Amino acid sequence: MIYDIRHITTYSYDSPVGSALCTLRLSPRDGRGQHVLDSGIEIAPLPVSRMARPDFFGNLVTTVRIEESHRELRVTSLASVDVRRESQPHADLTPSWEEVRREVANVQTLDARSPAHFIFPTKLVPLYDPATDYAALSFPPGRPVLAGAIDFMRRIRKDFRYDQEATLISTPLSEAFEARGGVCQDFAHIMIAGLRGLGLPATYVSGYIRTIPPEGKPRLEGADASHAWVNVWCGADAGWLGLDPTNALQVNDDFVEIAIGRDYADVAPLDGIILMSGKQTLKVSVDVKPVG
Amino acid sequence: MSERLKESLRRAESRGGRASVARQIENWIAGYDPILGVPDEFMDSDGVARQHWVKFFVALAKYSQKDLAQRFETADRLIRETGMSYRVYGETSERSWPLGRLPLLIDGAEWAGIERGVAQRAELWDRALADIYGEGRLVSEGVLPASAVLGSPDFIRPLHGVRPAGGRWLRFYAADIGRGPDGRWWVLGDRAQAPSGAGHALENRLVFTRVFANLYRDLNVDRLAGFFREFRAGLVAAATRSEPRICLLTPGPYSQTYYEQAYLARYLGFLLVEGGDLVVRDDKVHVRTIAGLKRADALLRRIDAEWCDPLELNAASQLGVPGMMESIRAGEVVVANMPGAGLVESRALLGYLQAMSHRLMGEELILPHIATWWCGGPNAIETVLSDFDNKAISGAFIDNPPGLDNGRAAIPSELDPGRRERLRRAIERRGVDYVGQEIVRLSTTPAWIDGSIQPRPFTLRVYAAATPDGWRVMPGGFCRMSDNIDARALSMGEGVTSADVWVLEDKPVEQTTLLATGDNVRIVRQLGNLPSRAADNLFWFGRYLERAEATLRLVRCYCTRVTESAPDGPSSARARLQTLLTPRRAEDEPDAPVTKSPAEIAAAALHDPRYISSGAALAHAARAAGSIIRERLSQDIWQILGDLEHRLAIPLPASPLPEAELIDRAEGALHTLSALSGLIQENFNRVAGWAFLDIGRRVERGIFTCALARMFADRDATADNLDVVLDLIDSQITYRSRYLVGVALAPVRDMALLDPNNPRSVAFQVQRISEHLAGLPTLRHDGMLEAPQRIARLLDADLSTAEAGKLDNAKILGFEQSLMSLAVAIEARYFLQGSNAVRAETPRGLA
Repeated sequence: MIYDIRHITTYSYDSPVGSALCTLRLSPRDGRGQHVLDSGIEIAPLPVSRMARPDFFGNLVTTVRIEESHRELRVTSLASVDVRRESQPHADLTPSWEEVRREVANVQTLDARSPAHFIFPTKLVPLYDPATDYAALSFPPGRPVLAGAIDFMRRIRKDFRYDQEATLISTPLSEAFEARGGVCQDFAHIMIAGLRGLGLPATYVSGYIRTIPPEGKPRLEGADASHAWVNVWCGADAGWLGLDPTNALQVNDDFVEIAIGRDYADVAPLDGIILMSGKQTLKVSVDVKPVG
Repeated sequence: MSERLKESLRRAESRGGRASVARQIENWIAGYDPILGVPDEFMDSDGVARQHWVKFFVALAKYSQKDLAQRFETADRLIRETGMSYRVYGETSERSWPLGRLPLLIDGAEWAGIERGVAQRAELWDRALADIYGEGRLVSEGVLPASAVLGSPDFIRPLHGVRPAGGRWLRFYAADIGRGPDGRWWVLGDRAQAPSGAGHALENRLVFTRVFANLYRDLNVDRLAGFFREFRAGLVAAATRSEPRICLLTPGPYSQTYYEQAYLARYLGFLLVEGGDLVVRDDKVHVRTIAGLKRADALLRRIDAEWCDPLELNAASQLGVPGMMESIRAGEVVVANMPGAGLVESRALLGYLQAMSHRLMGEELILPHIATWWCGGPNAIETVLSDFDNKAISGAFIDNPPGLDNGRAAIPSELDPGRRERLRRAIERRGVDYVGQEIVRLSTTPAWIDGSIQPRPFTLRVYAAATPDGWRVMPGGFCRMSDNIDARALSMGEGVTSADVWVLEDKPVEQTTLLATGDNVRIVRQLGNLPSRAADNLFWFGRYLERAEATLRLVRCYCTRVTESAPDGPSSARARLQTLLTPRRAEDEPDAPVTKSPAEIAAAALHDPRYISSGAALAHAARAAGSIIRERLSQDIWQILGDLEHRLAIPLPASPLPEAELIDRAEGALHTLSALSGLIQENFNRVAGWAFLDIGRRVERGIFTCALARMFADRDATADNLDVVLDLIDSQITYRSRYLVGVALAPVRDMALLDPNNPRSVAFQVQRISEHLAGLPTLRHDGMLEAPQRIARLLDADLSTAEAGKLDNAKILGFEQSLMSLAVAIEARYFLQGSNAVRAETPRGLA
């Protein structure tokens, strides 16, 4: 499936901003079942400097510096991506979760391929015993890792309520867990915390999911959204497999990966420093249009 | 005391000591009783005193009791007065930092072994870091498990694959060591993030050398200065320019070790900068100075790596420099130590160090370290759990993994059964997060406790610096002694003192200081360019001092009038003074009482810190501004500043003080202030920094004098009112000598505002400010005046053409407002821009 993606982020400021330094992680990843046919980022006002480079995990990061005084910053990311994923292996054919844990210990590399990057706590995903205990129910001794992970994902979907009011971006994981609610970030972070608590490697994935309009209704322009899910490492043979706890779905051709990291902070689509004194408002519009 | 100790004392005595010396020592050490089975620095296991200690005590005992007490007192005073402080994080005030009475003595021959061991370890870690961030052979060849590296929050991914400018990941390393039960020195931990304490070691030395100069000479104590000189030379050699600008990057005055950092910066001649002072352009790091951006070649980093660059590391950091990682990758800045070097502090690595040494150095480790099992490694978890109660359990990478919560090692046998079981389960679940370590009791050393000498456990931090000739180890170190005989409770918190560390040589040692030798020194009269932040704080330092002086003069003048005259009409001098003095509340103290009686008003104006215009508040503000530029203020200035605050920041008396006492206090503080002004006038180097300090004082003095003139020299001013003006501007005598007729409005106005020869007049202040501004660097190339100069020249012209007889309050207010806009223009032109850096709101997924 080929998608045309348009992702517009607009900041409006109530007083002029003299300068801004921003980090953009908006270019879809190439590889592992998706091929970027075309991608580009437009920025208004025009930056005085602009640099793009892959980060440690292979995400394309664009850094821009704007020196022109402005009241609105508009970042438009356009991409055309061909997605053809292999289907995931049968869950029962993956190695046991204990075996995977042992395998992590034997990987002899420090580069981005090493699953060991993804078993340790981070600022946003600390080790949290209640989340680990919750995850452990899906991983009785000897259970194949993918079977356990899928079960875990489904339980999150069942036990947690999707609720935009339940959390803020700053809400710590423990609170979202207690509240049994949140948005895709919270779902992904909780699933990652549980898996890592058991010593299983899990990455945070930012990306898009195609929304399929209800039967007979037309697709709504700009109504899509950026999304987040989890990749679980299922041993060297099966590798990384995507699971979406928000929708209880195994990742398929409806998903487009932008960036992977240890938590949201590694992949935040837009971050940076602006020199200003007033308030800022943020508007995001996303269009993921299947074109063939 | 053992017979053999007595014997050695007798021998010392017969070598020219006096009988009183032996008695004195006997008194001191009568209760010295080392723990059985734990080595002691002073006495060996048979109770025989070691010779170097005997020599020291004999030398010490030659001072009379009284002399010794006085010297100890001097040491205490030096520590207090020079503001040596150890700031406990989160506290706004500083507390004096405890320095023990006795040094730790280490024999030169034994030291040589420590020196070799620490230098070897520094080199090993540097090579290990180069491998970990580079080829990764230790991991690919199976010497080191990947998880033992990647668990560290200090594995800084953006620097993977980078070759550091100057070639080294590590340039300043420290090892915490202690003497173990077998009598050997053991490494307890490694420090590479931003090792602290070296500055404290220098300070300790400074205090002790002033108090016990001859002891150092007689006992052949190794000097520290050479070490710092070579460290500096190492950084210079690593930079690409021949005269590099080196900055010490500090987290700022709220950091626990800020004073140490300021002290080191001053001692090493580095520019003390905060993240906000630096900016990256074209991949190069620059300092924001009053003359625009200036290249920074090398950084001595005291900010933890995570906070260094909000663009690539912790986005919430306000301490760092956006773009620093890119500059490092481009090889444009030397950083000591490189961000990411902190991973050598991971305890997980200790278990693999011997193998790493074989692989990278082809050598055995010279110094052993505490046996350590990383529970992520094969079989280690079984080793630790099978002997659980005899191990100390710590976090492998972070201090508080589940089951450990106070940041310290836990000894399972000392935990209650519930917590012990919880810890065991946590290790079973995720062994990678834990290490088990052998429990070691450390040796004890003599500590001075209430006039006698007692054994106390200690650790010693030893420093190594990369120099052009390889690693060099500081002969000495930072010794921390526990008040408690229980050796395992060591952390620089409650009840820990430090000690100077003496390495004793057989022969007299060479004297060295940071003074360079020979002819290779180029004469420099200006120390680079002044960072904007320093200029800002110097300016405010000057303004606060001047405000404090104004308050004190007002108090003195008011109290004098209160004692001389009864209250009278609202336009009387006394009433007007009272209005001026009636304190304004500080914004955060809206409930401070409004005082009524003259004595209460005056006392509050002197001492009540809740009022922003009180002497106490202003002295504190001056010291706070000063503390940010501490490396630029001499020890003398700092001392007097402390004295000033000490005089003013005292509790308000319960019952009102007599006016005479208040006058005395105001005068006392004024004397201190004039001593301070004298020092600044006489000893402050006349470079840009001085200009800003002086501009600050003069702007403030001009504004105050205008306000005085409006209040006391208005059209209806009485002779008494005019007298107040002359009093406050210190011009009584000049006036009387010039005008024999008595006080009149126009001459007083002339003297206060227009007379360019009166050093207290507004005109005089403006002329000096103009001169200062003309000497400062300019950013414009078109020959046009910059805003501050334009305002100052205009005001100067106004004042020099005005006539006293034609002035009115509106005109005087005009002068005052010009001075205020001059201050604003100076801030806008020279200081860091006022608007705040804010983090962009991050979008949140909606799906």
